Amino acid sequence: MKIVACYSNKGGVGKTASAVNIAYGLAKSGQRVLLCDLDPQGASGFYFRVKPSKKLTDERFFTDVKRFTSAIRGSDFDNLDILPANMTFRDFDVFLSRMKNSRSRLKKALKSVDSDYDVVLLDCPPNISTLSENVFKSADAILVPVIPTTLSERTFEQLLAFFEENGLPKKKILGFFSMVQGTKKLHSETIAGMRKQYGKRLLDVAVPFSSEVEKMGVHRAPVGTFARNNAAVKGYDLLCKELLERL
Amino acid sequence: MSEMLTFASGGDLRTAFGGVDLGKLSFSLEEGDATVPFALLDTFDAQIAAAGLLLVQTGDGLHLLGGGAALRQDCAEPDFIANMPVGPVTKMLAGIVSPLRTLMTVAEGSLARQGLRVLDDYQKTHLRGTLWVLDAGKGRVVSLPALTALRGYDKSLSKVTAKLGAKADGRKLGSMLEASALLRGEDPALIGKTRIVMTPDEKAFKAANDIIRAQLVAARRQEDGIIADIDSEFLHEYRVALRRVRSVISLFKGVYDDKQTADLKARFGAIMARTGRLRDLDVYLIERDRYLALVPARFRPGIGKLFDMFAAQRDVEHAKLTAYLDGKAYEKEVAKLEKLFDKTRHLSKGPEAGRHALDFAKALIWKRYRKVCKIARAIDDTTPDEQVHELRIECKKLRYLMEFFAPLFGDNEVKSLIKALKKLQDNLGNFNDYSVQQAALQEQADALAGSAEPDTVEIATGIGGLVTVLHNKQLEERSRVTASFAAFDSEDTQARFRALFKPEGEAKK
Repeated sequence: MKIVACYSNKGGVGKTASAVNIAYGLAKSGQRVLLCDLDPQGASGFYFRVKPSKKLTDERFFTDVKRFTSAIRGSDFDNLDILPANMTFRDFDVFLSRMKNSRSRLKKALKSVDSDYDVVLLDCPPNISTLSENVFKSADAILVPVIPTTLSERTFEQLLAFFEENGLPKKKILGFFSMVQGTKKLHSETIAGMRKQYGKRLLDVAVPFSSEVEKMGVHRAPVGTFARNNAAVKGYDLLCKELLERL
Repeated sequence: MSEMLTFASGGDLRTAFGGVDLGKLSFSLEEGDATVPFALLDTFDAQIAAAGLLLVQTGDGLHLLGGGAALRQDCAEPDFIANMPVGPVTKMLAGIVSPLRTLMTVAEGSLARQGLRVLDDYQKTHLRGTLWVLDAGKGRVVSLPALTALRGYDKSLSKVTAKLGAKADGRKLGSMLEASALLRGEDPALIGKTRIVMTPDEKAFKAANDIIRAQLVAARRQEDGIIADIDSEFLHEYRVALRRVRSVISLFKGVYDDKQTADLKARFGAIMARTGRLRDLDVYLIERDRYLALVPARFRPGIGKLFDMFAAQRDVEHAKLTAYLDGKAYEKEVAKLEKLFDKTRHLSKGPEAGRHALDFAKALIWKRYRKVCKIARAIDDTTPDEQVHELRIECKKLRYLMEFFAPLFGDNEVKSLIKALKKLQDNLGNFNDYSVQQAALQEQADALAGSAEPDTVEIATGIGGLVTVLHNKQLEERSRVTASFAAFDSEDTQARFRALFKPEGEAKK
């Protein structure tokens, strides 16, 4: 089982939309996926029409296997389950490490309810906190959506610096260009510059901007379900493929 | 994963969905595929439906509906389960269907399948699955929603079950047995076990006639299966039904007058006699593998040839019985008997005919029970076999009486007493079977003695080996009889027999 965090220390970069579409794309390709909605503002669960569970506000939540497994909801799509939002995140790192440990009670409990996921995708809140630090430690990869602008380049740089300062493995970071507009000169120049500077820290894929992605809130569904041939959908599919190769 | 919801509803459920109030939940029926032909497969006595399942064959496979999950495997001709291709469906059925029973097409018609979902007010799916609408024509329609809850939505499953259960087009949701009976166009009471209604103060004469009439129906239902030679259970059930008829005639003493009793005994006996040899041969052939395993290897070729002989004889006997059952004489005789018990006014009553059924039943069962105990308590390891045989016969009579009158005493109470008795009967039955088989094999060997056939010696040697093994088995069973009876004769069982069956006013013994 791999833990993938979808994280950005900058808002408005399409983080939640990316998490939703990547979760859907991975599930479509046959991976068993659990999408954990950790971002109270993003509410990736909203896009899957899953109602937030009141039960989840309890702090004991992550230490209690039964409460955890009973909070998971099946999405309308095969291979894709959702852990809805609204929770406090104390002990989340303990929880994550238990989830990875094949001998832990949590892992066994997950197996017993047929939730032995291939990928656990975390939609993280957009700040650097104890939670995100813990997530950085436990995750196998950290997906960072980057809009190719000067400001985004700076926040990406800040994230790498944070990893450096705190002795975190930088190679976990997998940036990808999001909401790319090919017609914008700034976008193509920034992409070229960043690729040169950050090399392997960036995935090859660049997900183009699409107004269909913005309509996800209306459809309350991943973009691939209502705009199958959209360029962004193809971008996310490629991203899933590349991500699996890198894991 | 989550439990599956499957239940049968008489009629087309699609029209009922609109009227079901699920609160924030709602049904969503997807566009259906084109209608396809289906065949409902089951044993003649509906063993699959009795287990709460329906086996439906369509062009795209064999579907087992109604369990924890819908199972499917590739299409296959109905047969004995052991002869069908291995798959998830046959694997499940192997634990349900008797190895002696073959599957057959019991109903046919057209099937409409539609995707069915239960959604909430966000249009989020909680339950999904398929609605099966099976139409066997002439208004015989059964709907089967097979819904599975998505992870975390089990509550919705129980909610929908409750709501649909209450509504379902005004009709109560039925069991799979009822659904199966509806599709088959049969009375659900008939495809399972024969059941009759009996009241405590009805006359013994009526009770006897009702039982016999029901058993005649049960016997006649088997005729086609015997003739078509579908499996050996048709003949077995036919004989069980006729044996029950004869038991009523002989055990319900005084209900018919002596002449009538003798006449009925003779007439049913004559029919029964036609079937004996074929049943014996069926039993041998069923046991073929077990017998082969019982004897040392050197006897097996001879035993194999003996069974080939039996198989050939069986074909001859089957042809004879078929000719008889198909014949005019049989049809005429059975029609006469049926009429006799339908009208009943030509039946000559005996002195007990007017007794109340409950009163009569208690007297018969109590007397028979005490007789069983008396014989059994006198048996020890040195008692001659004849007495063990007598005990077996008395137990059988007691069992029949308890079964006949079970509706008067509460089925469950009687059932648990029968269960206790059955353990003893199994022991006695095995003892008897081994003894009868030895005698029959010996007879076969004697018949072979003068034969010039080249295999004679080999077969006779095989029989010799088998008889020795059977003799040892018989001794084993014999040595258990005392203990079996002691287990049956517990104080608790005694007390329950007394409480249920002891006639009032009879002195304490």
